[in-house]
Amino acid sequence: MKLSLSRDLDEISRIVAATHTWFAAQDVSDSLLFPVDLATEELFVNMIRHNPSKPDKITLELDTVEHGVAVQLTDYDVERFDPRSAPTPDISAPASERRIGGLGLHLVANVVTALDYDYRNRTSTVRFIALENDQRV
Amino acid sequence: MFEVSPIQAGQVELIGRLDAAQAARAETLFERLIGAEVLDLSSLEYISSAGLGLLLKLHKQKMAVGDGLRLVEVSPHIADILHYSGFDKLFDVMPATK
Repeated sequence: MKLSLSRDLDEISRIVAATHTWFAAQDVSDSLLFPVDLATEELFVNMIRHNPSKPDKITLELDTVEHGVAVQLTDYDVERFDPRSAPTPDISAPASERRIGGLGLHLVANVVTALDYDYRNRTSTVRFIALENDQRV
Repeated sequence: MFEVSPIQAGQVELIGRLDAAQAARAETLFERLIGAEVLDLSSLEYISSAGLGLLLKLHKQKMAVGDGLRLVEVSPHIADILHYSGFDKLFDVMPATK
């Protein structure tokens, strides 16, 4: 599955619809739907927030892998931002000290099996794999 | 789509998907929930960090007046997200029984 996405949060509903249709046609576990939805949304939103006004589309690709799903998001003509380098939030802080935001990439790291990043020719490519029963690669 | 539906006094049900696309609409709906003490999540299919931010904001508003929020009928996927974010330590969380 391949989608070309505008930098608009309303594209999330199109991502969800296309992802669920694609899952229904594949031999992959529905248990992966939640982590794939979550990681895709968080990474897509992160790309929009880092480069909100670029004219270029963001490309989303889904493929099956053994026991799971591989998802790739590609953002063109942007500065480098490796989502794996995002600061880790203090999840043990009391509510009074918790700030709103900063959790998205932390959640991604928790729900996917592997997360990779590549940057070349001003193109950012984020790829994650979600495996059934979280079989670590 | 995301909706909020009253169940009884002090208890409301969150319905649908609470994602970044729904956050602005959800924030408006949450402004009416300051009197709520219990959020029933049995019909909440999905939540992302955008939704967690709204829960935290509402919880802080409640705490400011000496109250807090209880999250009940929490599905396993959403319980995982609450755990990964540390929100299971901020809220009283009850797992799904249905």
